[in-house]
Amino acid sequence: MRRIMSSLVPSVTLVLLALGLGAGPADAQVIKIGNLVDLTGPTSDQGKDIAQGRNDAVQYINEKGGVNGRKLELVSVEYGFQPPRAVAAYKKFVQDDKVLLVLGYGTPDTEALRPFITKDKVPYISGSYSGHLTDPKQTPYNFPGGIDYTSQIRIFLNWVKEGWKDTSRKPKVAFIFADNGYGRAPIESGRAYAKEIGVDLVDEEVIPTTLTDATSQLLTMKQKDPDFAYINTNTQWVPVVLKDSLKLGLRTKYVVNNYGIDERTPALAREAAEGVYGIQDVAYWGENVPGMKTLMDWHQKHHPNDTHASPYMRGWLWTLMAAEAIKRAGPNLTGESVKNALESLKEWDTWGITPPFTYTNEDHRPTNRARLVVIKDGKVVPVKEVSVERDMKWIGK
Amino acid sequence: MQCGDFRVSYASDERIFETRLPIAGVVALLAALAFVPLFAGTYWLDVLNRIGIAIIGAVGLNILVGFTGQISIGHAAFLAVGAYATAILGSKAGLPFWLAIPLAAVLTSVFGLVFGVPSLRLKGLYLAIATLAAHFITTYGIIHWEKMTNGVLGFNVTPATVFGVPLDSDERVFYLIYVLVIPSVFFAKNLFRTRVGRAFIALRDRDVAASVIGVSLYRYKLLAFVISSFYAGVAGGLMAYHSRIVFPDAFSLLVAIDYLAMIIIGGMGSILGSIYGAVFMTLLPEVLKLSATSLTGVYPNAFGLIASARDIIFGLAIIFFLMYEPAGLAQIWQRFRSYWKLWPYAY
Amino acid sequence: MSEHLVFLLQLVIAGVAVGAVYSLMALGFVLIYKASTVVNFGPGELVLFGAYVAWATILNMKLPLAVALPLTLVVAILLGLIIERGVLRPLIGEPIISVIMVTFGFASVVRGVLNMTWGSDTRPFPALFASEPFRVGPIPISPVHLWSFVTVVLLLAAFSLFFKFSLLGTAMRATADNQQVAQSLGVSVKGIFALSWCIATVVSALGGIILGSVRGGVDFSLADYGLKIFPVVILGGLDSVAGVLIGGVMIGVLENLSGGYLDPVFGGGVKEVAPFVVLVVILMIRPYGLFGRVDVERV
Repeated sequence: MRRIMSSLVPSVTLVLLALGLGAGPADAQVIKIGNLVDLTGPTSDQGKDIAQGRNDAVQYINEKGGVNGRKLELVSVEYGFQPPRAVAAYKKFVQDDKVLLVLGYGTPDTEALRPFITKDKVPYISGSYSGHLTDPKQTPYNFPGGIDYTSQIRIFLNWVKEGWKDTSRKPKVAFIFADNGYGRAPIESGRAYAKEIGVDLVDEEVIPTTLTDATSQLLTMKQKDPDFAYINTNTQWVPVVLKDSLKLGLRTKYVVNNYGIDERTPALAREAAEGVYGIQDVAYWGENVPGMKTLMDWHQKHHPNDTHASPYMRGWLWTLMAAEAIKRAGPNLTGESVKNALESLKEWDTWGITPPFTYTNEDHRPTNRARLVVIKDGKVVPVKEVSVERDMKWIGK
Repeated sequence: MQCGDFRVSYASDERIFETRLPIAGVVALLAALAFVPLFAGTYWLDVLNRIGIAIIGAVGLNILVGFTGQISIGHAAFLAVGAYATAILGSKAGLPFWLAIPLAAVLTSVFGLVFGVPSLRLKGLYLAIATLAAHFITTYGIIHWEKMTNGVLGFNVTPATVFGVPLDSDERVFYLIYVLVIPSVFFAKNLFRTRVGRAFIALRDRDVAASVIGVSLYRYKLLAFVISSFYAGVAGGLMAYHSRIVFPDAFSLLVAIDYLAMIIIGGMGSILGSIYGAVFMTLLPEVLKLSATSLTGVYPNAFGLIASARDIIFGLAIIFFLMYEPAGLAQIWQRFRSYWKLWPYAY
Repeated sequence: MSEHLVFLLQLVIAGVAVGAVYSLMALGFVLIYKASTVVNFGPGELVLFGAYVAWATILNMKLPLAVALPLTLVVAILLGLIIERGVLRPLIGEPIISVIMVTFGFASVVRGVLNMTWGSDTRPFPALFASEPFRVGPIPISPVHLWSFVTVVLLLAAFSLFFKFSLLGTAMRATADNQQVAQSLGVSVKGIFALSWCIATVVSALGGIILGSVRGGVDFSLADYGLKIFPVVILGGLDSVAGVLIGGVMIGVLENLSGGYLDPVFGGGVKEVAPFVVLVVILMIRPYGLFGRVDVERV
């Protein structure tokens, strides 16, 4: 008798478990949105703010009555920047939760899920602004949530060329980038563009993902003596690179991509941040743009003690974008209708958080405008508006 | 001294199942498994698939670490080689999966042979450190052999096809995985009824004495690495077909530590323990995720806390098991079983 | 001086500075091993712990340096006691794989607790030293590097003397040699274990503080430094304090030289993997390292 129990009980339990765990019913009125965040992995310092921004935006939207009368619900999964966990979460989103679209996060998850979302027709708004996601012919369901890295690197190169007065030689530049999908995304295009406009790319330095210090990379770069260098690494390495550069006495001027520079950089890099340029894609906390007051008031009301920086703004931005698309898609909500709705966004006012967004069915680059900023006296100050033409040659690259 | 053991032949001592009933139980379980994909949601199928892969990997690691006593932190590297080899053979060379996986596994065992060589000269801590180095060197190689592996970006794997049907969903891959899990487990169980298996155990327990009675240490140590990495190669290949993308990040050092945790929590030196450990370690993050999602409704900040709780619970689980139940879940199950078997007697 | 020579020297100097920090972290490892033959596979988390507590006391609670630094060290001591008493003591005598896994286990716990308490934002670390480089000839040297090197050398010298000449140090060495005999002579083995762990955590905390000021910020990637200590201790010898310094500096210089000369050839990443290649080579030809004791069991 005992033996029967100890052998059969596990089998029966397994069968019952399998049966019982089939997909459950969904609440018809609520619109579910998949949400991937990194709270414990290497980008968690940004991830926390982004997650908070998304949660807050959804709460705000629901307080105002939802979208077309229906409430939004975020199905959140923390994936620690590990692609397999993102894939598992996605499967759950699509099969069990039946989400309408996914608020993705970074390059690893976006790259890993590309084939899946295209097959399943699930729009994917990503924090990864990789140029590889901008061609609807290849990635029809990917929507980068900001100015793509390739456009940014082109802006950098244009700015170098424009400001170069010395006629005896071409300006010398270097690329410093992270050894991962995010860091490498714009580099090939950057090389090609530099050649095209006549800027000398003299050095490329790779920053590995487990960085101890950047001394050897910077010393190698110093030998080539570039006038300018573009930094496209994970956020937390930027202060390290800047500080090491100061320590080693390099005279190179730096331009950092949108993720690498924000309000916190001056505090982290201190003297090394002086004179460093960067590309700003979203408004910083407290800037004078139309939506800022609403956002700040809401934030004050609900958790005044948390400070927030630009990643928080991005969280709001992408959620607002998703809500707008859902609203435009009308009563018939499918992945495809939401995608079409996103592609219908023309000069959409993002509460002023960014320059207006335009997606089309041929071009998933939301904007080609950004702001050049510089760090002066420990603060990030704007220099000028910059933009680059929406040259279709660079789409998808 | 255990009561109720009465054997009259060597063969009966070595039987895996003592009576016919457990065999019936296992057959019923397997039959039930075959029907699971028809009912279960994709999410749970994905979890079961990952459990299946983990079982193969854990059994392989247990053969090396639990049964032969060779400490290896390099398991993630072997999984990576298996996965990338399968992906390259399957997607780039266009081989069907029933060629890609075995070939990849053979390749991985050659790799394992090479990395087993340090074990001929090193023991314990030094071997552990050497395997740690092997892990980093392998990862470096994978990332920088860009022509083959596409470097840090990884690449997508075309799904395996069976008679023209692509295995591109969890329900279908499920069968592929479990069709391989079953023979893997039984092969391992049988391995330890044979001479080779006994040699491994002898190596673990008293290697000097073993060599005195004629067990060739060199041969069997390398064989343990070869077999273990073959398993890892199969598991890695299945990983490639399951997630359909290979990525260097998917084979980080944490993966190796996870597998070690599996066999420790499950029970070193026990095949059944490997299975328990694989199930436990795969389910742990899922359970945490579920509680996070349900708690977030009540207590919004719980989400962030639960995420870091995973690390804490993982660490505490390892510490707890090592302190109080060093022989793992398998031992707990053994005690449970013998309690029932012998009740109302104490022993 | 020719440009190439300047380049080389800068690499070497940076390597020495970084290597000094590695030595400091490796010292913790060696101490524990020397006293109790326990291997700590979670050194990175101890460094992280020190850096975060230091940050918390200095910046978060805004205590003056003279209070904050000793407080950090006291907290580190407490951590050491907790680890030793709560976790390692029950495991005395268990096979080495259990011990290794336990250290992974509490490393994970420390990490989780830090994440829960303070979150994983990058925090700016107070500048304990000036960062403007001064020049020796054509070579700029950063004061941070210089001071970290000096600190590490002083600490290591202090420990060497401690082990050689003080009673407690001799007791520790005796315990490492043969616990039973040491105990029979009146040495409290449990106390020695506790002491060695506390020293280890304190030293790791100091390493964390120095690293924090060198890099200017603390974040979770500091833990990755932890694994670097393995090449250091293998090169220097698992139980040699002098070996730790030499090994650390050599590994630091090796890293930077391979980074400077080989990275451009191979496209990056060589810097990180070179120490491990060296580790494997050393293990195959001379496992006890440069100064370690010759008692590695061979097959």
